[in-house]
Amino acid sequence: MRILASSILFILFTACASYPKKQQFTQVTASTQNIINPYFSDTSKDYVYKANIDAFGNSFGGLFIVKKIGEKSHRMVFTTEMGTTIFDFSIKDQRFTVHKILKDMDRKILLNILQQDLTALVTEKLETSQRYQKGHQTLYESQLLNKKHYFYFRQNQLKSISRTKNGKEKVAHIFSDVEGNLAKSIRITHNNLPLQLTFKAL
Amino acid sequence: MSVTEANNLKNKVKSLAGKTQTIKSDFTQYKHIDFLANDIESKGKLTFKEPGQVKWEYTQPYTYSIIFKNQTVYINDDGNKSNLDVGGNKLFERLNNLIASSIRGDMFNANEFDMKFFKDDDNDLVHFLPKDPQLSEFIHAFHIWFSKKGNVQEVKMIEPSGDYTQIVFSNRTTNQPLSDADFSQ
Repeated sequence: MRILASSILFILFTACASYPKKQQFTQVTASTQNIINPYFSDTSKDYVYKANIDAFGNSFGGLFIVKKIGEKSHRMVFTTEMGTTIFDFSIKDQRFTVHKILKDMDRKILLNILQQDLTALVTEKLETSQRYQKGHQTLYESQLLNKKHYFYFRQNQLKSISRTKNGKEKVAHIFSDVEGNLAKSIRITHNNLPLQLTFKAL
Repeated sequence: MSVTEANNLKNKVKSLAGKTQTIKSDFTQYKHIDFLANDIESKGKLTFKEPGQVKWEYTQPYTYSIIFKNQTVYINDDGNKSNLDVGGNKLFERLNNLIASSIRGDMFNANEFDMKFFKDDDNDLVHFLPKDPQLSEFIHAFHIWFSKKGNVQEVKMIEPSGDYTQIVFSNRTTNQPLSDADFSQ
């Protein structure tokens, strides 16, 4: 009976544990710091990616284009390979504006997902008050659009951003094939929806 | 361009289009987005065969092909193949007809477009403005440049925002035999 009770307590404890704890990170003395996502930070650069979206059993491709147009402002466009614009958004200081979206895609639920995912993707500077460490790996906790996000750095390079709820990762932004401040490969995966966005730099 | 010149151009293009059974051409595509420093450039090959079979094959900087054939769209996205049955989709049918027409320039349909005629250096230029609001949601205007012979040199599809896609054709051959393999996915 005692073993059963201990097991239940252990399961409850781990199930309720924070995201960093589940990843075996240890909290470091808290102090306010800035996190930098450098991957869309150059105003002189046109960021052009070949994109694939796998959504609810459908797969389609296109070009995903991002431009930093001001201090805290990005414009982003998704077009077909043949050039037709599917959507055109801007994000300024985390405020989201729809310039264009195809009528068939103009759904509030979809726009909310894209707003969350793309804001996390391009926001350059964020404040954090919680830092966690595991060897040379660091997790910074921050709030984006009122949701908890963890920025994972290995050897001072941003590797991923995880949006979490109740200690569980809901959405992961994974940056790989990094050259300087350019992430040549980006994957956004939803763990609770059959939705994945993949971007490869052209 | 005078009314007579415009009518001559229409007749020349229609007559040439009527005699054109197949087209093979290289193309360079420029996607212009106002806020970008540079246009996005891609290159590929176009294959066309009457009635309305079209293959756009992008080879640089990505590998992607889209085939419009028998009311189906066949896509090969760098090895990932997919089909889309669009039979009965009126908008698609019109879009496909439009693509096939624009390659040959034979879009002189006054019910569908308002047209404006210009002379541009050695070429003739026609602006086609869609009348149908369903189409004009995507495209504000087609600008088509014709050679003196009446071949399409260049197509510019201008979106309502002012951003555009410009396709410049080169190494064009017509009425060479094409097989089913030329339209394989």
